[in-house]
Amino acid sequence: MPSLLGNIFKGWAHYSKGVEEGGHHDYEHMFAMVIDLDRCTGCNACSTACYAENNLPVVGEDKFGARQAMHWMRVERYFDEPDMDKIAAAEETDTQSRGASFLPMMCQHCNAAPCEPVCPVGATYHTLDGLNAQVYNRCIGSRYCANNCPFRVRYFNFYDTAESWPAPMDQQLNPDLSVRSKGVMEKCTMCIQRTRAARDTAKREGRALIDGDIQTACQQTCPTSAIVFGDLLDETSAVAKIWKRQQVKLGTYKQNKENPDLRGYRIFEELNVDAKVLYLERVREV
Amino acid sequence: MSPDRPKRRPFPWIRTVMAVGVVGASIVLGGQLLEQERRGGESPVTEAGPRVPNAQFPTDTFNGKDVPQPINYSHKLHAGDLGINCLYCHTYARRSKVAGIPPTSKCMGCHTVVATADEKPEIEKLAAMWESGQSPAWNKVNDVPDFVHFSHERHLQKFLFDNPDMNVKDSREVCAMCHGDMVEVTVAKKMRPLTMGFCNTCHENNNGPADCTRCHK
Amino acid sequence: MSSTKIDRRNFLKVLGLGGAGAALAGCDMPSYATLEEGEEQVFSYLAPEEYVIPGIGVWYASTCLQCPAGCGVHGRVREGRALKLEGNPNTAVNRGKLCQMGQAALQTHYNPDRIAKPRIGAKEVTWAQALAFIKAKSTGTPAWLTGAISGHQGVLMDAHLNASGGGKHYGVEIVNAQAWRSACADTIGDAQPDLHIDKARSMVSFGADVLGTWISPVKFMADYGEFRAAPRGVLTVIEPAMTLSGANADHWVAARPGSEAAVALGVANALATEYSVSTSALPTGVADAIFTMTPERVRELSGVDTRTLSRIAGTLMSNSPSLVIGDGSYENAVAAMALNLMLGNIGATITPGADLVPADLAMRDGSTKALANFAKNAQSGDIQAAFISGANPVFTAPDGLNMKDALAKIELKVAIAMFEDETTQFCDVVLPLASPLEDWGTHAPPLGAARGEIHVQQPLMEKLHPEALGLGDILLGLAQDAGAAGLDDFEDYYGYLRTAISAMIGTGQEAAWQDVLQAGKVQAPATQRSFTANGSLTINVPESKAPGKGELILITTARQGLYDGRHANLPWLQEAPDQISKAVWDSWAEIHPTTAARLGLKDGDYVTITSADGALTTRIFLYKGVHPDAIAVPMGQGHTHYGRYASSVGVNPLNLLGADTDARTGEVSNTTTVHVQATGDNRYLVRLMDIDRQYGRKLTATISADQQRRNQSNKQGGA
Repeated sequence: MPSLLGNIFKGWAHYSKGVEEGGHHDYEHMFAMVIDLDRCTGCNACSTACYAENNLPVVGEDKFGARQAMHWMRVERYFDEPDMDKIAAAEETDTQSRGASFLPMMCQHCNAAPCEPVCPVGATYHTLDGLNAQVYNRCIGSRYCANNCPFRVRYFNFYDTAESWPAPMDQQLNPDLSVRSKGVMEKCTMCIQRTRAARDTAKREGRALIDGDIQTACQQTCPTSAIVFGDLLDETSAVAKIWKRQQVKLGTYKQNKENPDLRGYRIFEELNVDAKVLYLERVREV
Repeated sequence: MSPDRPKRRPFPWIRTVMAVGVVGASIVLGGQLLEQERRGGESPVTEAGPRVPNAQFPTDTFNGKDVPQPINYSHKLHAGDLGINCLYCHTYARRSKVAGIPPTSKCMGCHTVVATADEKPEIEKLAAMWESGQSPAWNKVNDVPDFVHFSHERHLQKFLFDNPDMNVKDSREVCAMCHGDMVEVTVAKKMRPLTMGFCNTCHENNNGPADCTRCHK
Repeated sequence: MSSTKIDRRNFLKVLGLGGAGAALAGCDMPSYATLEEGEEQVFSYLAPEEYVIPGIGVWYASTCLQCPAGCGVHGRVREGRALKLEGNPNTAVNRGKLCQMGQAALQTHYNPDRIAKPRIGAKEVTWAQALAFIKAKSTGTPAWLTGAISGHQGVLMDAHLNASGGGKHYGVEIVNAQAWRSACADTIGDAQPDLHIDKARSMVSFGADVLGTWISPVKFMADYGEFRAAPRGVLTVIEPAMTLSGANADHWVAARPGSEAAVALGVANALATEYSVSTSALPTGVADAIFTMTPERVRELSGVDTRTLSRIAGTLMSNSPSLVIGDGSYENAVAAMALNLMLGNIGATITPGADLVPADLAMRDGSTKALANFAKNAQSGDIQAAFISGANPVFTAPDGLNMKDALAKIELKVAIAMFEDETTQFCDVVLPLASPLEDWGTHAPPLGAARGEIHVQQPLMEKLHPEALGLGDILLGLAQDAGAAGLDDFEDYYGYLRTAISAMIGTGQEAAWQDVLQAGKVQAPATQRSFTANGSLTINVPESKAPGKGELILITTARQGLYDGRHANLPWLQEAPDQISKAVWDSWAEIHPTTAARLGLKDGDYVTITSADGALTTRIFLYKGVHPDAIAVPMGQGHTHYGRYASSVGVNPLNLLGADTDARTGEVSNTTTVHVQATGDNRYLVRLMDIDRQYGRKLTATISADQQRRNQSNKQGGA
């Protein structure tokens, strides 16, 4: 009983100190991603790999139609090319003259995530690794976070998922992460279970994490290597190099690039959510 | 007091609210009291508790119930009287998240020579399982929910291997921080609450990670 | 406003502290979310390997068998259960990558609808009874009907057939590259040349879904990644309905179904006339066909105009070296090779393949010609006993082949399968097959021979169904029974394989064997082939005229997902939206909007599609990625007996196809003429997204290649 109240008073000093110092944001890592839309073929391997790695339930046709599918990583497909029309409009033909555009979309792990401040119980927050974390145990299912997400990448468990895994399919479930129950919000975690495991390995070997220690499931399986994942704070990482080359900076929505035609961009940049997934524009010969 | 309007009490629903409040409070308090019945009390170990230099750990204890096991293995005999190091059997604690129940081959390593199946009925049971290729179905005593990630390896690293004042032969002290001193029990008993508060207190005292995602998977 | 008083005494008596306390301890919390002692169980190991540590996954190398490409995989196994597959980084074929069919191999393995026990008719029996039955009934020569097969499984199958009086093997694959192989053999003397997409600056595909389902898609996709990296390659695809490859094209051209050959020859014509490219390297008949394929004729046969032909020719000329591929019809593939010959790609992006030593491990490709032959031979009574594994002919055969009648004529039909399907319903004996994750094997992946790679398959875990047997074990048993020579020493397939591989690596040492298992492959010697020119070759371009009034041309294609229907029973792949339409859990028919308007159809309308051989009813999907004369129904759905996830989902367009075969290759055509009629029903086709435009939001942006080249030469770089 005493511990209930005692913690509040003990923690207050710690919390108020952090607030005075502008929030304790000494990030250990800043995990980010780059997705090259020119390499992406839209094959959907990333999405299925995510299902396999993260215990995602299969919901069936009806629930899918009700927009209740749980694809943390989804590949969208568009047929229009608004920017290209300025340069060279697609030939005015009856049939498609260019292919489609594919967009792998998952939680962007925004540094200024609109989902974080609105959770009534603080179940979603920003970790010291720069990831937007979802704590299933705290979630009470208000769904305010999903409402706020401009990318629509948060998925709510409206139903119990046990029937997704009739025996022996339940033997495939990954024990490194939970199987979420009804009433809990979930989304892409950038395979935080792999980060945890990589961290343990690095600690065991007495070294720091290096680029390549952590591969997200989508990145590992992508046949064209369109997905790159890594730590922006590590200057030698592939991700940091690409972000630097593309002249995209965190913490601002006005990217003052020396070369404004570079193809790195973030989706919904103008909303100032500071997303951490950099997309490289698809290239087309005209 | 107009005759047309029915007489209404102010806040007619207040009785319901109070009833719900009382029920809720009694559930919470009752639960807490019941848990405290199980916790508290003296831990059946040395007065000072485990001796782990450079560590501050919570002193809560827990009075676990007796859990029947397929084989009545006695920690008192093996770890106590015979002085076998915890890590000899629970060897995976050095390398993995789980400390692991030792494979039957480890038991048979000694028990084909000493205290053999002819001499001890429990060993006879074990040997029969060994011969028929059957794994014993142990009932977990120290359990945490499946959504918790706990790594024995990391904890042993911090308090034992990377602890300059600790030696592997003192592993018993480190294990006792969360498992109690197992040499006092025969069949395993849960002797620490292993609740989130228990873990959190130790983390706060020893600069362990406070990030939710480190332990919640 | 109740008048009952809440009696305090009663209230506390009912509630009780005990009841409240029980809320924490004994409430119905599932045992996996509990702190309480004695709720969960732990099974300790008996005698684990040294490297098996509970809580840490062990990775084993094996081979993916979800399609004939045979990519190497690494399987993560924890506590004796396979949890995840990744590509094997050591195999040159897929270099650590894996497609979604490979990822879903776990669901093939853990599928709840797997066959657990042998059966004869409707009765479950023991293996001994099943084998005795087979032995008793095997009077005539047996035949094997399988998918593409390679490695030592092929060797044992041959041994069985030879020892049983010389039966035939029918290797069946609906998705194949037979036209390409025949064309390559006839033009450059090598049926399986090595292709180097990563070295090409442009790639033109005439109807070959190189990124989706053609030959070795993961390999090609990995190469494609390099193809797009600086200096960037250009992709042009010409096909009747958009496939995954077409969806990634810089330039996509709709050609009437069956007319790709005309377009390819038209491009060659443009190269010869506009760019004066020499045709001296071509066989004479082919050069003639090129010069007679004028732009007007191309437009007549395919609907493709002159400007497009010039554009394709221009792309090829300005982006060298190029790579031209083609499939679907023999003439089309020959025309594609002709372009390669004219452009000097031979030796640059197309190099000779290699023959594996020993040769009997090489891949025996599957074809639809074999399917047609099987039906024909069965009809004429030439097959008395058939062993069927890795193929579902009743489902995949065009109705025109009358497969059910053909099967009825075979006295003994034995199916060796993981799942009950349309074919096992017709079989006398059904034997349970172990899954690829539980079995041993060797596989010679297509295009792997060039690197001397033979992939090794090893079990990732114990069998889920103890009575299931691996294909190799079954083949070995049958071969031994039939009296095949040299096999008596082997107790099981593992022993046989170990000896065979030891002979290949030149040692029986344990360490060397462990090296093979760790790498997941054996490096085998391979003798490089060489190209030979062909002086003369006649081709007859098919007369692909526009369909008659009220008719459309049905085209069926496979997708990298459900493939030819074999993966329809995997929920991950049913829920994975189709790459182009984004539809899930159903079939659909792709129609061009102008065609739909002409027929009075709108999105979601049900139509009945009728051919000379059958009919089906499905919903339409409108988009501009299909030729206006075509109606495209992807294959894969329409199972009637294939487990809970596949049965009664969608329609099977393969049934509508006729028995027409290509004159040169013997392959069954994947197109037929159909009538389309609205049924009056309409229902929303469930899709990942209903929109295909971005409505002004910058979701996927595109820049021109010129701009990208400027970025790259800029000192600041840009990726």
